[in-house]
Amino acid sequence: MRSFEHFNARTMEEAVAILGRYGDRARVIAGGTDLLGKLKDEILPKYPEALVNIKSISGMDYIREDNDVLKIGALTRLEDIAVHPAVKQHFGALAEAAGRAASPHLREMGTLAGNICQDIRCWYYRYPNNRFPCLRKGGGRCYAIEGDNRYHSIFGGTVDDGCYAVHPSDTAPALIALDAVVRTTKRTIPLEDFFDVKVSATTVLDPDEIVTEFEIPQSPGKAGSHFIKFALRKTIDFAVVNCAAMILIEERKVASARVCLNAVAVKPYRAVKAEQAIIGQELNESTAEAAGESAISQATPLKDNGYMVQLAKIIVKRTILACA
Amino acid sequence: MTEKKLGPYQTLKQEGTYKIGYDKPTVDFKQIGKRGVRRYDGFEKASGKALYTRDVNLPGMLYAKVLSSPYARARMLRLDTGKAEKYPGVRAVLRYDDPAINGQELTGSIAGTTRMAPESAGWAMLPVKTILSDQAIFEGQMVGVAIAADTEQIASEALKLVKVEWEEQPFILDKEKALDSDAPKLISGADSNKIADEDRELTEQGDVEKGFQEAEEIIEFTARRDAHLWAGAELPSVVARWSGDKLEMWVHEQQPYLSKLILAEQLNIPMNKIHTHSLYQGCSFGERCNPSNWSQNGINVLAVLLAKKADRPVKLVLNRAEKFYGFSGDLMVSQFKVGARRDGTITAVQMNNLFANYMCTTGVEHLVENTKIPNLRCEGTTVFVNKPPAWWNRCEQLPNVFCQTLVFDHIADALGMDPTEVALLNDGCEGRDKSYLEDFQRENGFEPRDSLKECIAAGKKAIGWDENWHPPGTRQLPNGRMHGMAFTWSHDWDDTRGTGSAAVLIQNDGSVSIIAQHSDVGVNPWTTYMQIVADELGVRYEDIEINPFDLNVGFALMSPDGSCNLGSNGYVVKKAARKARRMLLDLAADKFDLPAEALDIEDSTVFEKANPDNRMPVKDVVKMAVPMLNAVGIWTEPPVLDWAWHTQGLWGMALETGRPRMCRQANFIEVEVDTETGEVCVTRVVNVNDVGKAISPETVEGQMYGGTYMGLGRALAEEMVWDPATGVLLNRNLLDYKYATMLDYPASDNIYIETGLGHGPYGSTGIGENTATMIPALLGPAVYNAIGKRIDDFPITPNKVLKALGKI
Repeated sequence: MRSFEHFNARTMEEAVAILGRYGDRARVIAGGTDLLGKLKDEILPKYPEALVNIKSISGMDYIREDNDVLKIGALTRLEDIAVHPAVKQHFGALAEAAGRAASPHLREMGTLAGNICQDIRCWYYRYPNNRFPCLRKGGGRCYAIEGDNRYHSIFGGTVDDGCYAVHPSDTAPALIALDAVVRTTKRTIPLEDFFDVKVSATTVLDPDEIVTEFEIPQSPGKAGSHFIKFALRKTIDFAVVNCAAMILIEERKVASARVCLNAVAVKPYRAVKAEQAIIGQELNESTAEAAGESAISQATPLKDNGYMVQLAKIIVKRTILACA
Repeated sequence: MTEKKLGPYQTLKQEGTYKIGYDKPTVDFKQIGKRGVRRYDGFEKASGKALYTRDVNLPGMLYAKVLSSPYARARMLRLDTGKAEKYPGVRAVLRYDDPAINGQELTGSIAGTTRMAPESAGWAMLPVKTILSDQAIFEGQMVGVAIAADTEQIASEALKLVKVEWEEQPFILDKEKALDSDAPKLISGADSNKIADEDRELTEQGDVEKGFQEAEEIIEFTARRDAHLWAGAELPSVVARWSGDKLEMWVHEQQPYLSKLILAEQLNIPMNKIHTHSLYQGCSFGERCNPSNWSQNGINVLAVLLAKKADRPVKLVLNRAEKFYGFSGDLMVSQFKVGARRDGTITAVQMNNLFANYMCTTGVEHLVENTKIPNLRCEGTTVFVNKPPAWWNRCEQLPNVFCQTLVFDHIADALGMDPTEVALLNDGCEGRDKSYLEDFQRENGFEPRDSLKECIAAGKKAIGWDENWHPPGTRQLPNGRMHGMAFTWSHDWDDTRGTGSAAVLIQNDGSVSIIAQHSDVGVNPWTTYMQIVADELGVRYEDIEINPFDLNVGFALMSPDGSCNLGSNGYVVKKAARKARRMLLDLAADKFDLPAEALDIEDSTVFEKANPDNRMPVKDVVKMAVPMLNAVGIWTEPPVLDWAWHTQGLWGMALETGRPRMCRQANFIEVEVDTETGEVCVTRVVNVNDVGKAISPETVEGQMYGGTYMGLGRALAEEMVWDPATGVLLNRNLLDYKYATMLDYPASDNIYIETGLGHGPYGSTGIGENTATMIPALLGPAVYNAIGKRIDDFPITPNKVLKALGKI
């Protein structure tokens, strides 16, 4: 790893100020579980000149039930979310997602904000020493299209530049299904609008903007939520496909539904067609199956990832059924 | 004719050469076979106090980095190291055109392996140098230049300043297309990518045509398997330090003595001037047992040359990604034809195996060694592809058990028979039925036991085979998944040619030292040596110590290069202990004023057999027996010390060596297959090994546990992924390359049987490699039994299962 300046910020204002001074030449570090790997491997053409540590800011690590919302501090570690009684009871999808992310060690380090701000997974993008200077690094082409794309997007690339790298977060689909919003040092953003696909960026955050808090509305009525992850190993892998859903059933019929897939597209993929397919229906094997079919109706798999379409269909079905 | 009187050398040789027959216990077992013996290296490893090669830090030490090829095949047209040489902190730059490298016969050249049989050299047979060549034949190959600098970071930064002008050349990754006439040839000017390996191109026994005529059922099928990575936890590492003309080395290897020999041959350094240390080691699994390998001798040579150039100690540690360039010797595709009679008797097996980069074993050997199948024919072809070296990886027997498992499972299925019955029917040796083994047992003092029958009975009972096994694709579970079971079997791992030597010294305070270098290979060997010495010598286990980290002591125990550890080394320490005991009793006889025969030793005390109250602690017996004592006027006696050498010496066909394999093993597995997602959930694994005699029961079980995880990972998830467009290894990290962890699969049920039929000490046989080698192929039959569709394409990943089921 190369050397860099390291600042232990004492307040969020100070962190923002340092970021402002460095522009795009600094990075925020909290758990560091994604960033340090990237730095060690030197995957990007430019190396940051400074890291701004925000773990040194107190009071950013909390889970609070506040009137009708659950508030989670940006620096709350994944493991703390996974085992929190209130999260487990009322926001099952998030507890499950946090508990299935990464590995036990990484969950003790990684934060919720870091999990949604993590970079894309693509073995070309992530190859050490910028061996493949791809579109997302400002290069001229995507190497995955002609290469091995068994873990790439089944829902197309970005319109602008043709990148097929997937967003790997486990908690992002859960937060979207739970209709969460994220607060930053500048604004409040619905989680669904938080993600972006740009050169050197996966979120809409400005270079000097930092996530501070999550707010999740208490589910209306008795909505159930669930999260399922399909990965090759139980312990540490990123998802091949994951899915979160929140479903409210009234008078035996689905009154509202939010279903979100991830790891299958360039950003979390809200399966609106699956939601439409079950709203107003009774929740059973056949309606869930139909929802699964609807979820993948717009899939356009690449040469190596056709199996992910089948997986997405089944995982959507099972996640929906598990919400009942 | 008068018998020739043997001189001291021939006497030693005769005493040390393995003699066929049951090695009967000569002492009562106290430590041997006992549970709860304190593991020799347990505290150090569990506490983090154990030191490994990369922990060595010497005053003034430099750190080295080596350039690696970004291309699967390319030639260096120009190498400009000017800027790197001037970079502050750089102390030595070694280029491919340095006279120490250029034109020398280093690793990768045929001449570099003169002491190794060519068939054992594998990748080293390649006629292209793989130490700092100007040619790359696989992406990631060490090429061009190595740099030693004050820090690792400086060395890395300096490497970035090296300018290389490459000529990229066409490459080939697909083994099945490597022999096409238009395939790029790996070796410039060669007619073909075929590697000549005459010894293994054809194996024949009997007459397969006749065998197929006698068959009532004939099946044909093709199977493929991807190799898996050879890596373990510890990174390839070496430290070299020159002091005048003396060289001190710290190496991470299974056979430091051989690596010293190769250094002597290649760099002309006298062996007696090389002082080698082998500290604790974080892995081996065979990767560290090819001394001529580029990541072994290769890094040794570079460290030695850089240390000479800089006149400073040099540490060279490859990084995690660099460790990924090498794989097991079973990157293969096999075509099978199997004939059998309806009663389950297999009459002929024909197989055609295509290997990439190295044919470790032909694939047919286990069918020869432990079946009565009379007619076998195996054709083998090896091709070059632009991938790194293939090598033994936790056993070169992978192709053999792969082929045996599939042959037996496919034919049992075609005959509609229980595979355990087909196994029992065809058990034997080199085309002969079990009566050959029974005769051998009788003639050589072994118990008359049917090892396979015992293993199968135990395994079937443990897994509930008779109640749960079913025809393929016929049992759906309440959870919706399909239930599957499978079984495979083979003989014991006793294919050793191990040779080793060790001394036993009784120190002046009565404590006992086993003196020998022995590389740490993680199978708890030292505990077992101490157990044997305790029982053979009559001393307390706690009184024994071994310090196996220094090759300069002169004695060296072999590590499992010949797939043998205790099987050979156990004899060495047993003999050394018995010889030391003779010395001790001889000395004691003087003290007791009795003949040595009248004395015995127990619990670290010498006593008179006829009058056990007449006793003396060992420490008092040896009170004056010292290697040296620096005190004028004190009377001393010579030390109590003796040493032994042993060679198993026998390897090959039973009919040639007179030593058939008699122990068997059986492995059972139960899976549930999710037919919607293609997920294969392993619910139970039962391993049954006839280990002959378990010296350390926990070690036996430990190997079975660990081997199960390794085997399941190989079967279901491990896969090296190459970019088809560039030939770059894409998943050279521990996230994308998927080793199984202990949380991924349930713990196995491990059963060991002790028939005493092994050729090792006390009738023991090997356990270190078997399970990991047996399990991978077994998943194919298990998934078939679950879903009724064959996936003879390993690893069996969800996409392949879904494809077999017609879901995609």
